[in-house]
Amino acid sequence: MVRAYPYLLLPHVLSSRNRARRRERGDFTRGLLFVAVGIVVCAALFQGSFWLTGHLEDYAELGDFLLRMGLSWLFLTFLSFLAFSGVVTALSTFFLAEDLRLLLVAPVATRRIFHARFLRTVVQASWMVVIFLVPVLMGVGRAKCAGVAFYATALITIVPFSIIPVAAGTAATLLLVNTCPARRARDILMLMGLLFAASLVIVLRFIRPEQLLRVESLPDLTAFFATLQSPITPLLPSFWAGETLFASLQGGRDLLHAGALWTTALASVVAVRAASERWYFSGYSRSQEAPKARFTRFRALDVVARALPLSIVRRQLLIKDLKIFLRDVSQWSQLLLLLALVLLYLYNFRVLDLSRIPYMSGFLKNIYAFINLGMAGFVMATVAVRFAFPAVSAEGASFWIIRTSPITLHDFLWSKFWTALAPMLMLTEVLTITANEFLGVDPFLKVVTALAIVFMSFAMVGLAVGLGARYPRFGADTSQVAGSYGGVAFMMQAVLFVIVMIVALGWPSSVYLQQQLRGWPLSFSQESLMALCFLGAAALSLAIWIASMRSGVSALERMGD
Amino acid sequence: MIAIHDLVKRYGAFTAVDEVSLEVMPGEIHGFLGPNGAGKTTTLRMIAGLLKPSSGRILVNGHDLATHPEDAKMSLGFIPDRPFIYEKLTAGEFLTFHGGLYGLGEPGIGERVREMLEMFELGKWEGELVESFSHGMKQRLVMCAAFLHRPRAVVVDEPMVGLDPRGARLIKDVFRKMSARGVGILMSTHTLEVAQEMCDRISIILKGRIIACGTVAEIRAMGEGDDDQLTSVFLKLTGGSGLQEIDEIV
Repeated sequence: MVRAYPYLLLPHVLSSRNRARRRERGDFTRGLLFVAVGIVVCAALFQGSFWLTGHLEDYAELGDFLLRMGLSWLFLTFLSFLAFSGVVTALSTFFLAEDLRLLLVAPVATRRIFHARFLRTVVQASWMVVIFLVPVLMGVGRAKCAGVAFYATALITIVPFSIIPVAAGTAATLLLVNTCPARRARDILMLMGLLFAASLVIVLRFIRPEQLLRVESLPDLTAFFATLQSPITPLLPSFWAGETLFASLQGGRDLLHAGALWTTALASVVAVRAASERWYFSGYSRSQEAPKARFTRFRALDVVARALPLSIVRRQLLIKDLKIFLRDVSQWSQLLLLLALVLLYLYNFRVLDLSRIPYMSGFLKNIYAFINLGMAGFVMATVAVRFAFPAVSAEGASFWIIRTSPITLHDFLWSKFWTALAPMLMLTEVLTITANEFLGVDPFLKVVTALAIVFMSFAMVGLAVGLGARYPRFGADTSQVAGSYGGVAFMMQAVLFVIVMIVALGWPSSVYLQQQLRGWPLSFSQESLMALCFLGAAALSLAIWIASMRSGVSALERMGD
Repeated sequence: MIAIHDLVKRYGAFTAVDEVSLEVMPGEIHGFLGPNGAGKTTTLRMIAGLLKPSSGRILVNGHDLATHPEDAKMSLGFIPDRPFIYEKLTAGEFLTFHGGLYGLGEPGIGERVREMLEMFELGKWEGELVESFSHGMKQRLVMCAAFLHRPRAVVVDEPMVGLDPRGARLIKDVFRKMSARGVGILMSTHTLEVAQEMCDRISIILKGRIIACGTVAEIRAMGEGDDDQLTSVFLKLTGGSGLQEIDEIV
């Protein structure tokens, strides 16, 4: 009896059901938080697209033109995201998933495995895009008072639109795995994808959309639109999707482009399935080969570590942590995206034209200094939850080596702390100092924020490493660790800490600036209160740092009880 | 039951398995011995259909694995050295799913699952999630899955690793019963006592090549000594004990 391919998806369905039935600690809180954040994001997207479409309505034909172009851009962005996501997901579902070892020894035809895996790839790669698209399209539909036909068209557009890039991504993966081993291919893809994402973000920013808001740049608008239109080509599925939906919004039907979407989707599935039947098994077989560390020995790291004034234990822990981090492309490549975002962030400050508001510019600059501090704090929290929090969990099944070695868990955890602190402090200090320099904020604030970053880095990294030791997940990968109960708890505490720090530093700084603006000297009571606030902020940071680390060490020591 | 002819597996310039041929007859327990990295697991994974041979032919129950993979796999059970089991499924759900892959369904699958779980002493764990199982229990569950569809041949990679003496005894009994029913078993192991006790014939592989094949008595005779244990023969055939070097290092 040959079962239909959805049978192969049964373990995932049953696993999800069992996971829901037997909840782990923190599952409910995490679920609630994600749902709440999801609802807020979806509501914001709906409201944003509703507001924007409503305003475009005021400009008659120009508004329609902009809406049409906007839809094409929206789908173009999602198309590139889906293609990349398709490649990465296909690599995992078709070649690296553990359960393939079970399925491939069973008498299951390659065609059935392909169908099951492809369906899973499409769902896994596109669910996020769909979740973002739905509220956006609902907002557009609502603003244009569209009927049921528009929503039905949206549904039949999104399905083939998701399938085409994922099929292309799967084909690219098949080709890549057959030319180089899957484990190396994953590294290459991860790197390429992140470079692509980073460059996309930078290119979009450098188009400088803010010039739309400037009356004096009106003559440049034609060139601006020409730039915007250049990547929109009628040969891409994103254009077909945009056109189909735009026609539906106008009350018509664009069967040509809808037909193009569906026929291309079906043809691409048939083509990838044929390719899979021919090359899948040889690709899977190649994917079993392990990568070699030939190019990633990092001898220089050994030399540098030897020069540092560290004990042998700490030196070896540092070398081990850094080499493992640098050899795992999926880890460090995320820093590239972060770097791109940081560059954009600084660029935004560079082009920020506060002189357009002459009476407020001095005041605004100093307000921005605190917004900048808050942003640096959030960047710090994000980096910490992704890299410092999983530091203990990253030991994984190898943690027994640490436990059975003649080193204290205190030394072990503090080694993790210093390894994470150095890059974190450097990143956020550079970010804050450069942004403040671009803004030209008051020298007093420059010193306050630079010092605040030092204290915040110690507290945040201490909190992340300490909580990571209290809630380790040795069996999970780092992204799962970041999303675990402990990770969510860290993010909440970190955000709260940043807010408290901004309030504690913002109030005395504003007193100082107001007095300076008026040309009045500070009174003794004002000076005392300011000192109290600054000392309080410093004491809070130090307390969080030390208490978290101590609590982490004792949690590790209790682990064997 | 299992026949492999001139099997070769190359990774770039490195040949992991080199012109290996062997045959496992119905009801035979065939030991597959060799030092670490000799090519045992690679050979077994090719027979199971997880690795594509560079050249050579694999027949399972008369079906060519390359041309009729589904028919060949239908007759085969595979017990890997590092088994994968869906951690969030219960033992019963996992076996029912596994049976479904081999075409087993209602009526009868529930009873067959319980029968196998009882045989491997996992009956009372049927409704428990696999993630709560010890290594030995997982190993026994994978064996339940391998024998569930009544295969004609079974390929086993290191069956005794992680099993307690009771578990090891259980597995030996099950293998003997299965071979008595005509199931051909190809078993790789490092435990020479197990090979000596259970195997009808033994093949020894070294650097990807079969260097010796025969019954336990025939292999023992190759040692040219009066030692009745396989260990000394194995060490002699695979390159000495290295005791002198150890002595020098220590």
